[in-house]
Amino acid sequence: MAAVLQLSQVTKAYGALRALDGIDISLPDNAYISLLGPSGSGKTILLRVIAGFEAPDGGSILFKGERVEAVPPHRRNIGFVFQNFALFPHLSVAGNIAFGLENRELNPITDSAVVRAKVKDIVALVGLTGLEDRGVAQISGGQRQRVALARTLITEPSLVLLDEPLGALDANLRTRMRAELRAIRERCGVTFLHVTGSETEALAMGDTVLVLDRGRIAQADDADTVYNRPRSAAVARFLNCYNLFEGQLSKDDFVSPVGRFPLQGQKADVRGQPAYAIRYDRISVRPLAAPVTAEEVRIEGTFIADEYSGAAINSFFSLDDGRVIEVESHLSQAAPQTCVPHGRYALVWKRQNALVYA
Amino acid sequence: MAMTAATAEPASADRPARKMPDRTFWLLAPGVIWMVLFLVVPILMMVYVSFWTQTTFAITPTLTIKSWVMFFSSDTYLSALWTTIRIWLIVLAATLIVGYPAALFVGLFVRNKTVQTVLLVLCVIPFWTSFLIRVLAWRPMLGKEGAINLILQGVGLINKPIEVLLFSELSVIIGMTQIYCVFMVGPIAFMMGRIDQSVIEAAQDLGAGFWRIFRTIILPLSMPGVVVGAIFVSVMVLGEFATSAALSGRKVNLLGNIIVTQVGSLKWAFAAVAGVILTILMGIVVAALLRVVDLRKEL
Repeated sequence: MAAVLQLSQVTKAYGALRALDGIDISLPDNAYISLLGPSGSGKTILLRVIAGFEAPDGGSILFKGERVEAVPPHRRNIGFVFQNFALFPHLSVAGNIAFGLENRELNPITDSAVVRAKVKDIVALVGLTGLEDRGVAQISGGQRQRVALARTLITEPSLVLLDEPLGALDANLRTRMRAELRAIRERCGVTFLHVTGSETEALAMGDTVLVLDRGRIAQADDADTVYNRPRSAAVARFLNCYNLFEGQLSKDDFVSPVGRFPLQGQKADVRGQPAYAIRYDRISVRPLAAPVTAEEVRIEGTFIADEYSGAAINSFFSLDDGRVIEVESHLSQAAPQTCVPHGRYALVWKRQNALVYA
Repeated sequence: MAMTAATAEPASADRPARKMPDRTFWLLAPGVIWMVLFLVVPILMMVYVSFWTQTTFAITPTLTIKSWVMFFSSDTYLSALWTTIRIWLIVLAATLIVGYPAALFVGLFVRNKTVQTVLLVLCVIPFWTSFLIRVLAWRPMLGKEGAINLILQGVGLINKPIEVLLFSELSVIIGMTQIYCVFMVGPIAFMMGRIDQSVIEAAQDLGAGFWRIFRTIILPLSMPGVVVGAIFVSVMVLGEFATSAALSGRKVNLLGNIIVTQVGSLKWAFAAVAGVILTILMGIVVAALLRVVDLRKEL
């Protein structure tokens, strides 16, 4: 697959803040890429640099093989779907969608019959048929989202940047639009770069998931790899499903403030903060007296509270140093240990399931 | 006054028949009483007086259309009406030409709210001096031995003073444009400030160049500001008399000047005719401007 967009060593600083600190990415053609980053990680700035609204301080941006750093946004033909949709408030749905075709600088379409036909096609593609003449204030949030997308897709960009496109929708609609977005992308055959702060959204949407951490790409892998083998403690933290312990690696143990965790040949391959990570759902809760096998690690904690979410229960335990450990028990597997408030329990996991960073 | 009449009607029609305790209408009482006593009654009175019989030294409430006939058969008064319309149109165009780019800059290109406020306050600073001083200050500026002529002569661009600068229609237009420009800048800058930056970026991203974006996005979205500004400027310029009196050396007579003169010589009926015509003119202008955009929808 040819790369539609290649960034190498792209930097952008605001005063002392290095918003983008040497970004290297290569986006394949015809793919759904999600970019996960917590707020403040520079994800919106990265999109704005790619679209051309901000100039990078250094590095190169190759779009379809050509350098575009000096090309103004209206000549790049990179689509951008704004978080707040940024629809033209004085134009109808059809007027919004036709805007790019009629007003672009490079070969605008002046034949209104052609414009109408194209608008009709794209309106059908995104599922807005019948709403063409409505004002954009008279349609729902989900419909506005579709207008924003249709308006971009009609100009046939090779790359569409979506800045938290589902952030402005309510939870119900968000889940539905996920599938919809993927389907629309497949029908158009272009590359979507979808920026989000939600780890579930990033994992669910992306063929490839990029994780942005303090202005750098911390990981670029498929969703399964990112979820199961985050490359650094920071990535594991963004995924919001790992308990993390700081500490030091000694020969066969990881020394954390709550005790020594014996290892089982995990190689600590990534530089960065030393950390020991164990996924929420890899921990089991047992009575204090229950036996422990040789492959298992055991710590003790005091039960605080739990949270029922239908398919699973998330329980919270406080350790002796005050930190809180989260345990996720899937209800489909076995009835979980019922815990009494302020009771002490053993938290046990298999050595091999832990990830170690040093 | 014409403006209140024109906007009050659609606003009340728009209000849905929400269930409100009838008592709340008393909140309107002070305003309604005030407006009836000091606006509606005087206007009706003015219309009535315009049909009274005017003799040189007295006025009697015998109805006649003599004053009206005199107004429309006198070249002086008809030319005053025409001058009023002409100066109004020129000043309106001038304030728009001067004000729009300034408002565009302040409202759209200055993204720092503090700087924006500072710039708008700068526009208003001339208003900290009195109207008369602002008007009269143009005399040492524009006069035959005024600053502009002295400077132009000093640098050798002209060898004798440009006389048309002061006591002419030009000086009235210059003075009025300066005084009323800020009323154009304010509303337009306000509308510009409300344009979401990302809407403009979206247009850019869809391939439109600056002028296209200006024509298709910025201009239509700022139109309500232009209309409100134009209403402010129009109402004030149409009723003007002081600037033309001070800067034209009595050569430019606007309807306002006619009214002042007639009242001064106690020709009440005649002043009333000019007043009614001026009020109707303002009403037509405001109604026409309000047709340009649906302000209720836009604001």
